[in-house]
Amino acid sequence: MKRGLRQATLVLALLGLAALLVVAGGLVPTRASAGHWAVTRWALQFAMQRSIATQSLGVEVPPLEDPALILTGAGHYDFGCRSCHGAPGEPPPRIARAMLPPPPDLAPRIRASNPRKLFHVVKHGLKFTGMPAWPAQERDDEVWAVVAFLLAYPELDGAAYRRLVDRSSLPDPALQALTPTASAPTPAAVQEQCARCHGHDGLGREGGAFPRLAGQRRAYLERALLAYADGRRPSGIMEPLAAGLDPALIGELAGYYSRLPAASAPPPAAPARPEVGADMLELGRRIAHEGIVGQRLPACVECHGPAGRRSKPEYPLLAGQPASYLEQQLSLFRTGARGGSAYSHLMEHVAPRLKPEQARAVAHYFATLPPDAPAPGVDDAREGDLP
Amino acid sequence: MVHFLSATSARSRPHRAGAASAVAVLLAGCSGPQSSLDPAGAGAREIADLFWWMAGGTVVVWVAVAWLTYSAVRGRVAEQTARQARYYIIGGGALFPTVVLTALLLHGFRILPPLLAPAPPGSLRIAVSGEQWWWRVQYQPDGEEPVELANEIRLPVGEPVEFILDAPDVIHSFWIPSLGGKMDMIPGRTTRLTLQATRTGTFRGVCAEYCGESHALMAFPVVVMAKAEFSAWLAAQRAPAQAPADPLAERGRAAFLQNGCAACHAVRGTEARGRIGPDLTHVGGRMTLGAGVLTNNRAALVRWLAHTDRVKPGVLMPHFGMLPAAELDAVAAYLESLR
Repeated sequence: MKRGLRQATLVLALLGLAALLVVAGGLVPTRASAGHWAVTRWALQFAMQRSIATQSLGVEVPPLEDPALILTGAGHYDFGCRSCHGAPGEPPPRIARAMLPPPPDLAPRIRASNPRKLFHVVKHGLKFTGMPAWPAQERDDEVWAVVAFLLAYPELDGAAYRRLVDRSSLPDPALQALTPTASAPTPAAVQEQCARCHGHDGLGREGGAFPRLAGQRRAYLERALLAYADGRRPSGIMEPLAAGLDPALIGELAGYYSRLPAASAPPPAAPARPEVGADMLELGRRIAHEGIVGQRLPACVECHGPAGRRSKPEYPLLAGQPASYLEQQLSLFRTGARGGSAYSHLMEHVAPRLKPEQARAVAHYFATLPPDAPAPGVDDAREGDLP
Repeated sequence: MVHFLSATSARSRPHRAGAASAVAVLLAGCSGPQSSLDPAGAGAREIADLFWWMAGGTVVVWVAVAWLTYSAVRGRVAEQTARQARYYIIGGGALFPTVVLTALLLHGFRILPPLLAPAPPGSLRIAVSGEQWWWRVQYQPDGEEPVELANEIRLPVGEPVEFILDAPDVIHSFWIPSLGGKMDMIPGRTTRLTLQATRTGTFRGVCAEYCGESHALMAFPVVVMAKAEFSAWLAAQRAPAQAPADPLAERGRAAFLQNGCAACHAVRGTEARGRIGPDLTHVGGRMTLGAGVLTNNRAALVRWLAHTDRVKPGVLMPHFGMLPAAELDAVAAYLESLR
């Protein structure tokens, strides 16, 4: 008995040594071209499926029906996901097909999945595959936008996909008329990246999916892009885009959008919201113009207009911005996940004093206001002391 | 006091000289701008007298107890009869404390009503609200518009003044030790305190109830002035802010409005009408900044603006350290000009 044990130990030790020699000798293939053995593939897939199923159990799914969420997710998909996973109506991307494992065609996988699992995979990525984690781990809201889009994905054909990811393909003459003008030639980066979601005209998209950039203050836009670029304003959607821009181009883009007319065309209309009543708008108006002294809540308009003509160009103008965007920003400020330029701590002080229903009211109030035009001279001035 | 007595009981001359200087040092600790034992008000005088009587009585009782202890340990216990022992127990244990405490209680009853009495009708009224962590002050002279300021109180000498005290969120306690007793400021309730300063001078008031992170940084200067001087000062406080005279202060005024300071602060006579933070109409004329934390001057104003949360941890106001130095300096110059 004792002798058998000793022999077994010896055999195991020799096997271990042999395995070490094989690895150290460089004989294990890590070539993607070599593929996996069937047993390896099975083991990896089994482990992955079990891990996703178990670890996504605690995820709580928010409402995902808002079309604006789908548009937001679609805009990111086209920039961040399509190069590996392809898109409806297109052949699978040729380079990605040579990865190991090859990124799957998503439609059948999504049909077999559920929102919790999709959230887990998009947020955390997958080890031993090319699937990256979400670049800004504090932005669950962005991950959910991608999940909302993915849920719609299996039903999309090529044309439907193009409509979601590129506003310029919309047959809307009023918006088309606004695209590149002689006075403001469109920078190439706008055509390639910004316009997908924000439009050539900076008016965003229907349903208030994106903040309106047209007529926003130049100094604010520039600082926002710089903050995205160096990670001070976390966003899995905007950080990767801004990080690819050099500071001079950031200044040019900020200038381009700030000069576009904000008020000349109505923003793409948000669907009527029955829950936004006159009471809510009145509460929002009071908070915006008077603040709430008892809650130590200063009046928004002192910094953000529309009476804020005199305020700093680093402070964004809020009139006419989509309510969902404003509410989301307040929520991020409240939890400390918003970040931003060197001025953003001002709002981190204020936002936690707003109750969620007050934040919603004030967001909807600003959304109903006609956008301001930036003050000439103040907002055009290029600040020398960035950021 | 104990040290002082035991020191004087020493025998030799050098010891006696040392004892005298020790007394001087100890008594010096009793004076100053924030001392109940150096009274400058009618209430503080009563409280100080009571303190000295109690301190003296305490010494007498202490000496007596020490003597009894000594004789109990060293004395001939066996010689005492049960009857004598009963005298000690009933007399020293029950009768004597009852008499002393009753006397103190009666004395307390006698001095309490004047301390708590409302000021005579027509007296100056000052509403003070305990904020976190500063003092909102509103002078309410009879038949005139109220005047709002912050973190500084000035009083006419010799006149009773009624303080109307409250607090919006947590309990504070309003205490100017040199002038009188303290009074709690309680959310949802109004308390009153009458003070009558008996001599001119500059004193210090404090918050005497733990109220949060910067409780210890919540003080205010108190200036007791001659009646005529006080009236002139109050009239000046009532006036709206002066327009800035020099270009730097003018730039500072523009920056003050552009940065959104007016969302929280009022400067009467300008567009700034915020009610959340202290009224700054005459901030340049105040002795201190940040509720008694910094001596008020240009450098201190810059320090307060740029490092607000370090000067006063937990403060509601965000810091403005991100502003360029020239802009901070301009805002400080503007605030300094608001005299």
